[in-house]
Order: sequence, then structure tokens, then C-alpha cells
Amino acid sequence: MSKKGIVRNISLMLAAVLGTVNLGGCGEEASSDRAEVEMVCYKPEAVKAFEKIEARFNETHDDIHLTISSPNEAMTILKTRFIREDYPDIIGIGGDSNYSNFLDADLFLDISELEELEQVKKSYLQMDKELEFVPQEGAYALPYAANAAGVLYNKEMFQKYGWEIPETWEEFMTLCNEIQSCGIQPLYFGFKDTWTCLAPWNALAVGLADSDICSQVNREETTFKEAYRETAEKIKALLPYAEENPYAYSYNDACTAFARGESAMYPIGSYAIPQIKSVNPDMKIDSFVFPANDSEKENVLNSGIDLQFCVMKNTEQKEAVYEVLRFLYEDEVIQIYLEDQGGIACKEGDFSIPSELTGMREYIRNDRMADFQDHHYPSEMSVDAMIQTYLLDESDNSADKFLKRFDTEWKRYNRDLIRKVQEYEKGMEDAQ
Amino acid sequence: MQRKKKTNWILTIVLVLGTATVFFPLYMAVIIAFKQPSEMTNDVAGALSFPARWSLDNFRQAMEVTDFWHSLGNSLLITLATIVLAILIHSIAGYVIGRGMAKKKSFRFIYLYIVSGMFVPFSILMMPLVKQTAQMGLGNRLGVIILYLVFYMPMNVLLYTGYLKNIPVALEEAADIDGASAWKTYWKIIFPMMMPMHATVAILTALGTWNDVMTPLVIMSGTGHNTLPLAQLNFQTQFGTNYNLAFASYILALIPILVFYVICQKQILNGVANGAVKG
Amino acid sequence: MKKKMNNRERTFLAIVIPVVVLFFMFNTLPMLKGIVYSFTNYKGYGSYEYVGLRNYIDLFTDARVGKSYLFTFKYAIAGTILVNVLSLLMALGLNSKIRFKSALRGIYFVPNILGGLVIGYIFSFIFTYILPVVGDVFGIGFLQNSILASEKYAWIGVLIVGVWQAVAMNTIIYISGLQTVPSDVYEASMLDGAGKWKEFWKVTFPLVMPFVTINLILSTKNFLMVFDQILSLTKGGPAQSTESISYLIYKNGMDGGQFGFQSANAVLFFVVIVAISIFQMTVMGKKEEQL
Repeated sequence: MSKKGIVRNISLMLAAVLGTVNLGGCGEEASSDRAEVEMVCYKPEAVKAFEKIEARFNETHDDIHLTISSPNEAMTILKTRFIREDYPDIIGIGGDSNYSNFLDADLFLDISELEELEQVKKSYLQMDKELEFVPQEGAYALPYAANAAGVLYNKEMFQKYGWEIPETWEEFMTLCNEIQSCGIQPLYFGFKDTWTCLAPWNALAVGLADSDICSQVNREETTFKEAYRETAEKIKALLPYAEENPYAYSYNDACTAFARGESAMYPIGSYAIPQIKSVNPDMKIDSFVFPANDSEKENVLNSGIDLQFCVMKNTEQKEAVYEVLRFLYEDEVIQIYLEDQGGIACKEGDFSIPSELTGMREYIRNDRMADFQDHHYPSEMSVDAMIQTYLLDESDNSADKFLKRFDTEWKRYNRDLIRKVQEYEKGMEDAQ
Repeated sequence: MQRKKKTNWILTIVLVLGTATVFFPLYMAVIIAFKQPSEMTNDVAGALSFPARWSLDNFRQAMEVTDFWHSLGNSLLITLATIVLAILIHSIAGYVIGRGMAKKKSFRFIYLYIVSGMFVPFSILMMPLVKQTAQMGLGNRLGVIILYLVFYMPMNVLLYTGYLKNIPVALEEAADIDGASAWKTYWKIIFPMMMPMHATVAILTALGTWNDVMTPLVIMSGTGHNTLPLAQLNFQTQFGTNYNLAFASYILALIPILVFYVICQKQILNGVANGAVKG
Repeated sequence: MKKKMNNRERTFLAIVIPVVVLFFMFNTLPMLKGIVYSFTNYKGYGSYEYVGLRNYIDLFTDARVGKSYLFTFKYAIAGTILVNVLSLLMALGLNSKIRFKSALRGIYFVPNILGGLVIGYIFSFIFTYILPVVGDVFGIGFLQNSILASEKYAWIGVLIVGVWQAVAMNTIIYISGLQTVPSDVYEASMLDGAGKWKEFWKVTFPLVMPFVTINLILSTKNFLMVFDQILSLTKGGPAQSTESISYLIYKNGMDGGQFGFQSANAVLFFVVIVAISIFQMTVMGKKEEQL
């Protein structure tokens, strides 16, 4: 083949590919008399549920056309779209620091006039309030679905040995010893994926520290050294009951191990259930609230908003958007989502709770819940990696070192925020 | 002459044994691609055993999830366009800069300027580029191709100028005296002589673009056009990864680039067989 | 003659100017914008303020940044040396009179095309489940626990995978370099006997010298910018011992809200890496002339 021939051939191939791709590339044109509402969600695993919801909405609405996309890496996509100033109308995100930051960047519309907000469970509205860096007037999110974290356990194994569900920290420790004496490993961790360090951390911290602890620290009313001491000690006390060297095993390894019966319990969130079941579809899993305290009364379920809808400030069709939100908040529509995704409805009412969360049911009914503490941590601070470092540290004063580092790094990573909060506080004082 | 043609068997055996470092991981990837999620286990014997059933279901399903033919088309389009343009533009740029550098300081400066662009971390470029491409109406496949041409320019210019050092200037000077223009001299004489390097550039550029997730993700997401790596993100979320489907899909995506590599390898050898390079 | 040179120069300029403009538009210009952000507390969206040199001052006091530079350099030095030695040997091997040449070349190329998810899963499995068994059987102490879980050895795990993947690319460049060596000279160097090694150094090596330069620069750069292997193998752990500079810039600049600060980090990193490679180019350039 001559050199020219090669170039020519490649060009021909290219032209052919260009042609075919362009032919397939023609999209459908939307009719102009309908309002187009675009929603982007950050949960790619729920794409099937959203497809159903989207179809149902469009069947019943002639005047509005709804498009829901739920891409992977949605956060990167959303951030780049914000840079391009190409905003969707509604975004579905979690109640975490991204929400705080987007709200702080003044991206959201106040939706307090939406009557659906009155049907939201109080603790979830409270969680959203606490996520505001500086207290805001109005409401900016409609909480939709929540997840819960505590301890998942192997139900058949518990029944076989007659183990009881612990309600206090002491009972929990006794249970771990008992399981161990039966020759079974009580816990499994996947600490190779650092984020999993946050699962037991959060579940313990909700019971042992105030839910607004981060704001308290920002107002310089307390330090983490005081607030997190017990959490830090208790998370380390779990290590002897887990596999040796948990830093070698990933989240996925831990899910597989638990599914294969290699441990009796797995301290993780409800979000892990589908992954566990993919390995062992017949497994009977139940869960209980992490018994962090000495008295059952003080225990709190760790539950956070997994999905909530926020309206972008730039939307040009507020009425159509509200119509979409009202539709999404209908009981049957919520049910479609829950059936596909598991989880807990943020709306008051008699929604089904997945059987795997039976042990948490009373807490959910009675609204005894508090948000994941890490939703308040800036992600660049990498608290998960700090916890991993602390757990790896075998020296005697490791807890002191860790808590001191927590306080110093907190100040460094949050200094612009702390300044903002203090300015706000000062402004409030001056106003009085 | 006879003696030189003799096969070096010792070397052959060493190299064949060495392929175990490639085959072992590849073997794992292939069996995982055939297994079902419920066959996944953490014990070594179980993980290395054959799947219960050799079925192409995973591959079929993976093709469905990734909208395979459409994504493949986009990946092919972007990669091939980038390669062709890179060979044409980067080679002549490399030639001009390489030859100019020998005589002029300004070309030396341009050389360092372009090559140093290789060291700019993508993260710092990303956000400004997202905005810039959107403003210029390049938030699409064309934009991605242009960006690749710029991203790979430093490396390719470095490669071409390096290769040029082994091509004697005498050839061009002779053509110059015959009255041929620099443009013509380049395409007639130098371009064909750089065949092995064209093939190398083609492979390296193809590798970088074929597997790249980040650029298409930030530049053209939401346009309705996925590349294969973008579509493959579908298998992965923080809380759950379907390794079986993902591996099947990765193996499918590996085949075209492997074929391309084998073709280019031939070109690297042909460059010599044609006697293009003479000392 | 003079007019002709002018023609040639004019053609050269007509080619180089558009290329430089294109490069400026999509590389230098966005980088300049990035430099502007490095003086702000920009999160990547929303409003921001200029903070003067604060980000740069922070860079030199941030223990995490310091640690990432140490890790990255350690990794890059070891990786560059290993990869260049291995791939030159590979190229020589794959270019000599062996059987199954095409097949072997194809096989050794595969590591370079496997995606991050595959690499991450398979090598994590090898390090976590297979090597400890090997360690137990042969009594190799440091293998008995997953090396990826060890603060001390995790970087070696990442290095092994990094080298395993990078050899392919450098080998290709060396092979194409060997093609420029005229075949009679090259074959002469492959003569059997005591003089073989000496002939390689005297004959082949000087001729592939430009490719050694290229490979050194490219592999130093690639190892310094290590990102994919970190993301798929350790995500910076355990205990933040394998956080590379690129990983930190990406993770905190893009995922986290430190875009401004990490832009400053990226600017510093860029300056460091350019300095290193200009040094390499100058030194190697002199070597090339000597030979």
C-alpha cells in the first residue's frame, strides 16, 4: 500500500463514519406550545424509576413535557453545566455539602410557597435547615427519599444462634464477644475505600454528638476535641471484632464477604443492600440502629436525605416546574420510586419500608433521626481519610492526635465559611 | 547472512514466558466477563475458576446498556479524526519546528513553548475550557477533536522532531536545489520517510483518545452523544458496581484498538522494509 | 539561493503561525485563566473573591501538599528508571530474530489499553487475595498482608501497576527508534559473540539516543502526573500515603471546593515539572551531541 493510499483510505473510512453517525444523530423536535421542563438527577442507579415517572407524567400532561436524565458523574456534569450557564430547571441531589455549596452560591429558587412542603417529615426539613451555611429565609429543597445507616445483620445467622438485638453500647460489645466465641467474625469493614470509614463514624456520631455540632464549632462554641472524643474511642473499639487488616478490603469486598456469610454484621447504610443482594439474592438481611449510648432512649437513627429536588433560580417556567414537583410528590409516584430504590419516603404517610429496615421502623415512625454528620464536612478536608489514618495509628495518644488534627484542619478548610458565619452573627447582633 | 537469520530461541522463550504477566490479569478479566454477579467471591480458587456457564449474555446486555453501536461510532469518529489530523498537522509542525530550530532561536523557543504545554495539568484547564468551548459553540464532538489535537500536539511534536534528527538534511537540500518548494519537498520526501513515526503517533494518540473519559464527559455530556468510555460509566456507582457487565463491555471496547495496533505495528516495520530510511 | 531560503522560511512561518495560534487558544489561554483563579477562593461555581497570595503561601505550609510532592517524586524517579530499562530491553527483544514476533508485540501492548476499572479490580484482587497466599507459602514477610493496605509498601503496589502499563508505550517508541537504525548497522550489532554488548553501546545506543531523550521526558512526565492508577488502586490511601499531586489537584479542585487553591498547586506543579524537563532536555541534548 502506498503512503498516499493509506491516507486516502483513512480519509474514506473517516467520511463513512462521519456519515453514519450524523444520520443517527438527528433528534426529535419538541412541539413549541408545550412547556419543556428539564430535570437532572444524581442517582444513575434510579434511571429505571425515573423513566417510569417521566412517562407517566408526560401521558397525563398535555401542556408540559418533562425530561428526566440521571447520568453518571452527575455532579461533574452539573458543575460543568453551571460553568456553561446552561441550567436545567430542577435538579435532584442529596442533602449533603453539595446542596450547602450550591445554595450558598445562590443557585436555587425559594419554593416556600409550595404547599407540598407541609407534608414533609419535620426532621428532614430540619436537616435541610442545618445544611445552610448561613441561615436563609425560605425553603430551597423538597426532600424526597432518605436512606438510613446503622448495622446490617444476617438474619438467619442471628436466628440460628438466638442472638438478641442490642440496644445499648454495652449490649453491643457483649454481643460482639458472644459472636466471636461462636467462632464467627462479628463485623466486616471495607476500609480500603476510605469513604466507608464514615459509615460507622456517622452512625456513632449521631447518637453521641449534637446534630448541629459543626455550626457550633463554626460559632466557636465548642471544639471537636470535646464533641467527638467518645465517637473516636468507640469506633476504634470496633476493630478487634472485624477482620484483620480491614484496610486491605474494599467496599465491594466487604459486601461480598457479608453476603457470603463471612461476618454476622456489617455496619453500613441501606444503600449497600442491592450490592449485597446481587451476590446473594436469597439472603435475609435486617438492620438495627447503632446502639451508641448507654441508654436506648438516647439512640438516634442515622438517616439522611438521599434525594431532594431543588429548583434552579434561572428557570423561566415556575408554574410548570411546580406542577412537576406536585406530581412527583403524589403518593403513587413516590411509591414507584421506593419500589425501585428501597429507602424511606420523606413525605409523611404510610409508605412501605423495605423489609431490610424492619429493625429501624420505630425510629422512622417516631421521627427519631439525625443527618449524616459528614454532610457538613467539606469534601476537600477528606475526613474519611483522616479517620482511616487514625484507625491505622496504633500509638497510645492516637485519639488526641486525631481530634487535634480535626480541629486544626477544620479551621483551615472552613475559614472563609467561618468568617462568613461570624460576619453574619455580627450583623445580627448589630441589627438588634 | 545465514547465521543472522537464525531464530533466537532463548529470547523467544523468555518473551513467551513473560506474557504470563499479561495473560494472568487478562484471564481474570475474561472469566469475570462471563460470570454472573452471584458467582463473585473473595476466595482465590473461586475467583480463578471458570464461570458456571459460558454464555454471551453479559456481552449482549453490556452492548444494550452502552448503546454499543452508537457509542462505538462516536468513539471511532473522534479517534480516527484525531489520528488523521494529528498525523497531518503535527508531523508538518514537527518538521518545520525541528528544522527551523537548528537555525533560529525563535523556533527553539516555539519548540519549548509547545512541548512544555504537555505539563499543564488538565485540571487547571478544565473549567476555563468548558466555558470557552461552550461560548465558541464547540461543546460537541468537533470541540473534543480540537482539544485532543491540542493536547497531543506537545508529545507528537516531540516525537516527530526527535525522529527528524535521524533523517539527513541533505535530502531536502538536494530537492531545494532542484527547485522544489518547501511544501512540496515535505509531502514528497519527508512525510513518507516518517512512516514508522506516523504509525507510532497513531497508536499513542489513539490510545489516549480511545480510553479518555474526562474530556468528553466535561465537554460534550448532555449532547446525546456518548463515547464508549462515557457509556461504560453506567456500570459504576459509588454504592454498587456490576463488574461482570463492565468487564464484558471493556473487553468489547478493547478489540478495535487492539486490531488498530496490530495494523500500525506492520506499518512501523514496513517503513524499514521499503528502505525509506537510509543511513 | 538567498531568495529560495526566504521562500522556505516563509512557508515555515505560514505553517508554524496557525499551529501556535491554535495551541495558544486551547492551551495557553485557558491556563492563563486558571492562573487568575489561583489568586481567588473560587469553588468552581458561584461567586468568588480575590485572596492575593494566600493560596501560594498556604501551599508551602500545607502538610498534605508536601507529602504529595514527596510521594510523587519518589514514584516518578523509580518508575522512570524501571520503565526505560525494561522497555529498551523489550524493544531490543521484540525487534530481534524471534518467533511469534507480531503476536508477542500485540500481547505486550494489552496492559496499556485496559481501563481503570479492570486494572483496579484485578490488581486489588491480586494484591489482596493472591499475593498474601504466595507470601505465606514462601514465607515472604511483606507480602503476607496486602501491600496496598500498608502505608509503607502501598506505593510499590501502585508502581508495579504503573510500570506494567507504561512499558508498552515506551517500547513502541523504542521500536520505532530502532527502525531508524540502518539495518546493516543494527544487524552488525546483533552479531553473536563477546562483542555484542560492546557493539550495542557503541553502535545502536548512540543512534537511538534521541529516543532515549523522548522516552525519558515522556515517562518522567507521565509518572509525575500519575492519576489513573491512584484512582483505581488506592484512592490516595492508606492513611493518605499515596496521594499524588495530580490526584490531589483533581480530587480537591474538582470534587471538593478548593478550585482556587488547587489551581495554585497546579501552577506550582507546572513550573516544577517544566524545570525538570528542560533540565533533562539540556543534559540529554549535550549527550546526544557527544555521541
